[in-house]
Amino acid sequence: MTSDPSGWVDAYGDRLFRYALSRVRDEGAAEDLVQETLLAAFKSRDRFKGESSELTWMTGILRNKLFELYRRQAKEVPLLSSDEDADPQSEFFDARHWKAAAAPRDWGGEPARKAESAEFSDALRRCLDALSAGVARAFVLREMEGLEPDAAAEALGVSRGHLAVLLYRARLRLRRCLEKSLFAPEAAA
Amino acid sequence: MSFLPSCRDVSRHLSEALDSGRPLGMHVRLHLTLCEACRRVLAQFALIRHGASRAPDAGPSLSAGAKARLRRLLG
Repeated sequence: MTSDPSGWVDAYGDRLFRYALSRVRDEGAAEDLVQETLLAAFKSRDRFKGESSELTWMTGILRNKLFELYRRQAKEVPLLSSDEDADPQSEFFDARHWKAAAAPRDWGGEPARKAESAEFSDALRRCLDALSAGVARAFVLREMEGLEPDAAAEALGVSRGHLAVLLYRARLRLRRCLEKSLFAPEAAA
Repeated sequence: MSFLPSCRDVSRHLSEALDSGRPLGMHVRLHLTLCEACRRVLAQFALIRHGASRAPDAGPSLSAGAKARLRRLLG
């Protein structure tokens, strides 16, 4: 038994929207996901048994909608080498070591607390926006949705080896972007 | 130190270990004892994973237009 659906938009709309927006690239796509989620919940509300909160139930529906979207995108535009951006070798490393400008800095005191802040979520979303689509989707599925590598690779239509390449590039670039924008901006100035 | 893997190889191994769950090899661990930059990368990759797995608790809201449309659909 669910609560009155007429109250769902006010109760859950913004949280579902933030969840979606942190995983897709534009507000229109995030709004579409929220709409599809709420309508799917409305249609299946008789099956909701109350074993979790309504928000958890709806977030599960939203996740499935997100995976469906990624699968559609993977079929429509298969990930090609051009989606992976340039090889990080020249961007981050010289022959063996980190380039001075790309070498990881000290992230200062209490980085773990900062990583749990709304500020981090905002910075991560901006940094994800700067990645190519395939690299960003790989990171979302693996690190934000917590899919196992095989499942993430299947959703993206790539091999495990290709997924590893995408994730490596995502982590390197997000690490540097977060450092510049949040954790050590003074070092980058 | 040329018998040790390069920083590039180590950073790639660190990323792959996050997904495979396999322990780091001896040469990678030895490199880490000598290389502060790669130790930072190890910690920062883990920190990014921790932060990314948390749902955002603040940020943009649904537009008023979208809310009105959804209220009509659910009303």
